[in-house]
Amino acid sequence: MSRHTASPTVLFVAILAMPLSGCNVARLTINTPLTPDSVSFITAGQTTLTDVVTKLGAPDSITEAERGTVVTYRFLNAKYARVNFGWLVKPWSPVDPDLVFSRSGMGTDALELLCDSNWVVTHQAFVRHRPDPLFTPYPF
Amino acid sequence: MRRAGLLLGVILLTLNGCAFSRGTLGEEIKTETVNSIKKGVTTRADVLAQLGAPDRLLQLNGRDLFQYYRYDAKVGSLLLILINFSRVSVKSDDLFIIINHEGIVEEVIASKRTGNLEFRFWPFGD
Repeated sequence: MSRHTASPTVLFVAILAMPLSGCNVARLTINTPLTPDSVSFITAGQTTLTDVVTKLGAPDSITEAERGTVVTYRFLNAKYARVNFGWLVKPWSPVDPDLVFSRSGMGTDALELLCDSNWVVTHQAFVRHRPDPLFTPYPF
Repeated sequence: MRRAGLLLGVILLTLNGCAFSRGTLGEEIKTETVNSIKKGVTTRADVLAQLGAPDRLLQLNGRDLFQYYRYDAKVGSLLLILINFSRVSVKSDDLFIIINHEGIVEEVIASKRTGNLEFRFWPFGD
């Protein structure tokens, strides 16, 4: 392909792309999402809080409970997708039409550990067991 | 060479712009300050002198729990004509100090997650 034929091709691709503009894909992550695999090293009655902190870092909160100390790791994995189909008719329309489909999914969750007075983990559980959200703009 | 030129042309024609933003909440928790806090030695007054008042003060089985935190958020956006990609990454540095009845530090729990926080715009994958 010569230099003279490349430029119209690029321009053609760009012109094709312009009416399709209006798509957005965004993501928000707070802390590193934890999975059952990433916390499989925790054994109730054996693993200490020091072991957990060494692998996962400091928790987000430590609170007192009747049967020990509750240590909580919070994380969020939110996904957002948006398509504006109004842009398809924008070149031929006298107004600026919008037909927006968008959807967001909040994969918020927390890992809670119950520690005894010696800082040994006695129980552990995820709070919500939410599935990982998908990038899907279709809201229905 | 021609293919590279074509690719560069496509990128230049479809790249509408890009954006980088950052936000922080709280004071930086310096590693050397955390390392200077010794279990069984450092007092409550020393902690307050070095780090100031805690962001949260809790009671833990009759002991004081000082929590210090700092949040760091980085936003990267790639704005193309066809589609926009953006990603917000937030991580926190947390420091917990447990102080016993005698006012001596009993336990220090700290981690610095923001050290490896990067600007990312690609929303897919991990």
